[in-house]
Amino acid sequence: MRSRFRYVLLIPALLFALAPVYWMLTISLKSEVDQFATPPRWFGFTPTLDHYYDAFVARGFGDYLLTSAIVAVTSTICALVIGTLAAYALTRFELPWRLNRHLSLWILSTRMFPAIVTVVPLFLMMRDLRLLNTRASLIIVYTAFNLPFVVWMMRGFFADLPRDLEEAALVDGDSRLNALVRVVLPLVAPGLAATAVFCLIISWNEFLFALVLTQTDAAMTLPVGIAGRVTQYEIKWGVMSAAASVALVPILVFALALQKYLVRGLSLGAVKG
Amino acid sequence: MGIEFRNVSKHFSGASVVDDLSLEIRDGEFVVLLGPSGCGKTTTLRMLAGLETVSSGDIFIENERVNDVPTQHRDLAMVFQSYALYPHMTIAENIGYPLRVRKFDKAQRAERVNRVAAMLEIESLLERKPRQLSGGERQRVALARAIVREPRAYLMDEPLSNLDARLRVQMRGELKRLQHQLGTTTIYVTHDQAEAMTLASRVAVMKKGRLQQFDTPMNIYNSPANRFVAEFVGSPSMNFIDGVIEAGGFVSDGLRIPLSVFPDRSRITLGIRPEHLQVFSEQCDGAIAASVYVTELMGNETFVFLSVGANRLIARAPADFRAEVESKVWLQLATDKVHLFDPVSGNALSTDYTD
Repeated sequence: MRSRFRYVLLIPALLFALAPVYWMLTISLKSEVDQFATPPRWFGFTPTLDHYYDAFVARGFGDYLLTSAIVAVTSTICALVIGTLAAYALTRFELPWRLNRHLSLWILSTRMFPAIVTVVPLFLMMRDLRLLNTRASLIIVYTAFNLPFVVWMMRGFFADLPRDLEEAALVDGDSRLNALVRVVLPLVAPGLAATAVFCLIISWNEFLFALVLTQTDAAMTLPVGIAGRVTQYEIKWGVMSAAASVALVPILVFALALQKYLVRGLSLGAVKG
Repeated sequence: MGIEFRNVSKHFSGASVVDDLSLEIRDGEFVVLLGPSGCGKTTTLRMLAGLETVSSGDIFIENERVNDVPTQHRDLAMVFQSYALYPHMTIAENIGYPLRVRKFDKAQRAERVNRVAAMLEIESLLERKPRQLSGGERQRVALARAIVREPRAYLMDEPLSNLDARLRVQMRGELKRLQHQLGTTTIYVTHDQAEAMTLASRVAVMKKGRLQQFDTPMNIYNSPANRFVAEFVGSPSMNFIDGVIEAGGFVSDGLRIPLSVFPDRSRITLGIRPEHLQVFSEQCDGAIAASVYVTELMGNETFVFLSVGANRLIARAPADFRAEVESKVWLQLATDKVHLFDPVSGNALSTDYTD
């Protein structure tokens, strides 16, 4: 009875969230005539893969997809490595002048202003570094933008983990780094996975920096590529929807693959019972 | 393999946790650091392990100053109060971890793990994960992980405090036997005076970061250095009576005790252990009149709580001793077993009594 009630509540939320996705998917599969039919054809149109062919074979969206994947994955890995180490240091080592607290807040403060504020300075910096129109520029910027998030997420997970475990590893003869890799990280793996998913989604969908820092096909990410189909002469709804639908897949797969992991409390039973 | 603390102090943001501690532990000794919570005993152990820095003073292991030697190079093994088993590893992996870190090959590792597991009777658990084990089993695994290699010393931080009473007594005995077998220097932290008395070759009693007394269990019990040690060791606790020295004896409200040794001051605190008080139902020579506050039958003996004037005393009596509440009884003190303390400083005035 109660569970049925829960589903009743879930249905409107799902409809609200999934209706645009459904609309996008159908648009990507409709001929242009069907796209603009009034009243709209929710079902019962003749599906076509023309737009997918157009996007990924004729127009090079495949390259955008590859760029997006490289940029998102690399920046996520960089942010995770640097951020995890920083968070570990902030939770485990006592720094002078209450720096643990001050540094953490300082790191967080970089996320307190809107991204657009940093666009122009970043553009000038990347121009001077001759990194405009490169994947490297996006990797650097995304890493920097994900870092505060990683630091704060991981700080919480490290703080919750009993210190005894890594101290035991130290007494057993491990170096700090080994204790971190062999004892601490396996135990915060669910947290690490959750953080990775968020970073990946943010990098994957990022539009503003990608638009400003990359103009050439070789360094363009999928969101910028899709937006580029809106021109002053026409709007290629079919191509855009096809590309966006494909863009959905990797994140969906990744999130589903990690879902089980995200909810598993591994450190259960770590310290007494 | 000696360990020495030389004038070691530890401050945490201004608060002194360990204050000028000097301690020399001989090779193969079983030393227990005993004290109430917050007395600095765990901090002392953690400084020795290198998990806590030393604010001032030096720590030596085998005459080598180790203040700046990181934990992993001190070659010690530690059993944590929480056991700190690695939850993502099997029991075999847990026990074998110190060997894996030291790059022992697989066969050697398995052989040693099996040997230690057999010693502690946990062979059947090797494939399980820590969360599938009971408290007592986890305790054994933590112990196995410590003894799987031959470290310079074992450090144990209240290893038995999470076990139930019966298991605690059993493990206490096994620990003692194990240490006897291995002969490795062991430093053991506890707040349980019974553990300290039974396990230690020497006990270091600590209070508020300061060492109170460092001696054999027998000497700690028989000649406590001060009132704190006298009160902390022994169950039930020693009785204390505040009074004055007057005309050849100790006088307090409702009692007068002849003394053979006279301290050089008039106000003193007299201490006497419950087993040195004898309770009689009938009046006898030189006995002190007392009234029964309450009696507690323990099975093998009876604790008699008494009122003598304004003083409250506890006496040990045989199990068959019976007395009604508020009934009148008579007390005899073993006057050669009394301890005298300065009422202000609490220091023992004289512990050497001759008839």
